[in-house]
Amino acid sequence: MTHTPWRRRAASLASASALAVLCAVSVRGQDPDPLGRLDPNSRFAIELIMDSASTAGLPTRPLMSKVLEGISRKADGRRIVAVVRTDFGYLKTARATLGGVSEEELAAAAAVLEAGAKPSQLAAFRVRQRGRSDLEAFTDWADLLTRGVPRDDASSAITKLWQDGADDATFHNLWKSVQSDILQGLNPGTALQNRVRETPGGPTPRKVKPPEGQQENQSSR
Amino acid sequence: MHERKVAILAIGTALLVPAPRELAAQVVSKLEAGSYTVTDGALPVSMLRLAPDFRVDLPHARITAHGSAYVSEQQLQVADGIVSGTFTSPTVYGVRAEMIGNASRAVDDRSLGTDQVDVQTRIHVLFHQRGGMWFGGGVARPWRVAVVSSADIADAGIWGKLGGATLTATFTNFSFTKIAAASDTAVASLSCAAATDGTCERQSRFGDLEGVLHWEGGPLELEAQTGYRFGNGYDVTPDSRRWSSATATIWLNDRIAVIGGGGRQPALPLRGLPARSYGMAGLELSYWPSSRSTVPVSFPRTVLVKSFEVHPAPEGMQKIVIHVGGVETVDVMGDFSDWSPLTLVRRGRDLWELSMPLSPGMHQITVRTDGGAWMAPPGMPTMHDSYGGDVGLLVVSDRSGH
Repeated sequence: MTHTPWRRRAASLASASALAVLCAVSVRGQDPDPLGRLDPNSRFAIELIMDSASTAGLPTRPLMSKVLEGISRKADGRRIVAVVRTDFGYLKTARATLGGVSEEELAAAAAVLEAGAKPSQLAAFRVRQRGRSDLEAFTDWADLLTRGVPRDDASSAITKLWQDGADDATFHNLWKSVQSDILQGLNPGTALQNRVRETPGGPTPRKVKPPEGQQENQSSR
Repeated sequence: MHERKVAILAIGTALLVPAPRELAAQVVSKLEAGSYTVTDGALPVSMLRLAPDFRVDLPHARITAHGSAYVSEQQLQVADGIVSGTFTSPTVYGVRAEMIGNASRAVDDRSLGTDQVDVQTRIHVLFHQRGGMWFGGGVARPWRVAVVSSADIADAGIWGKLGGATLTATFTNFSFTKIAAASDTAVASLSCAAATDGTCERQSRFGDLEGVLHWEGGPLELEAQTGYRFGNGYDVTPDSRRWSSATATIWLNDRIAVIGGGGRQPALPLRGLPARSYGMAGLELSYWPSSRSTVPVSFPRTVLVKSFEVHPAPEGMQKIVIHVGGVETVDVMGDFSDWSPLTLVRRGRDLWELSMPLSPGMHQITVRTDGGAWMAPPGMPTMHDSYGGDVGLLVVSDRSGH
């Protein structure tokens, strides 16, 4: 057998390189220390924020999730720190506004603040009702703000429904109708106002008086 | 036999390297059946040909088995079979590594059958998911052919996508030692005149330059390829210097396609197969679209996720159900996975599923197809995330899913 040595060496080198890349990637996937993928300065800053959150009695899991999301999306270390710091602020504000709520509800409330709600608009949810979760309300609220519904309109609609005892399905159906209207080109604020009138527990439409001599044969919702 | 052991070890290593956490298999099968007419210098022969294809996709590995058989004198004769294993690393900064191992057998009426084991590695570089290039090399060891050594293979290629068309160009160089035979060119036979021990071993080398155009539009798929073989008269017979072929596939529905084509194939010295002209027409039973991509790596396409649902599943699990057609892989990622991709399992033509534990609460979730851009799933509330993308907001209550 006659073989050109350089070709064999090249083939061996290529095989070794591929194996090295595969192993490196595999090892990276099992990294037990996710913060290890940050630069030292960013890591230090993140650890400080985490300590502050723990000290304040705030959940660190949502913050760590933001770190991992940033790493996954290949964000710069400084960007990740800025995002986590901002989210820490939202969590503090949500806790101060809502009081002692679950970690999940606190994270959802922080998402509403991140989407653009004012802290004072969360205050209505401070009053807890036993066995009732505000997760669906917060989720739909955040979406409406993201889709361009005016902040005050979204806040008043969601708050009113919440205070009237609307259930998860009601919130979800409202969101579904509004986003469908927006996708068809309707102004986001108008879409919400129209749909919230049709929603059980929503504002009662103005009653139209029938002409004289005719009986009122249809009750308004 | 040293190369043989190395090849088997490499294949084993490629298949045994554990895929990361998102291990989930997808099984795809395909069957072609129809008339196949072949001419390799003699009279044309027509036969009924069956070609089954079986594939198991793991997140970073693929195992395929393909074969063909024909009915001759009311007996089923196996023509060829190949089992392949491919391990692909995730893409890091647009670079992806790939290791491929193949074991194959080809039966030709001129021989009792030839075997080959080969291992190749490739490094892919992707350009914005619209094109890419790769280079690699490997070793192939054939048996029962005139080739008496392992063959060194080096290849490089480039591909690009233009509308519905994908263009691929490859150059593959083969280098091996073979026994000159009477079927070789006259020049090769003359070179053995000086041999005194009755055998004539010589170094052989040739390179194949091949271009492939693949186009898809609605139910129609077209693929055309043409090639040129570089090498001197010792190694390249005149009937293998140039070749071209084309295949058309028309999907009648999502499981059945009419397939037809023909052209010229060059000789494959490593597998002991001569150059031949062929024509074929038949039916293909498969999921649509079948994996016939000419692109060596997956790339994102603009696809429409028709629906995205989450249902409660037994044992506290949640089942994600996605309807999306025309894709090879579907991944989800979110806070529940520590923002690592989880690959869904294909359950039908456009049905993808994944069961996983999801704690009660609000979760952020994104979806992607064919390794493309992450996006918020349709049909659920969304919000902008802090890193310039959109995420879906999934609420899992204590009692049920969304």
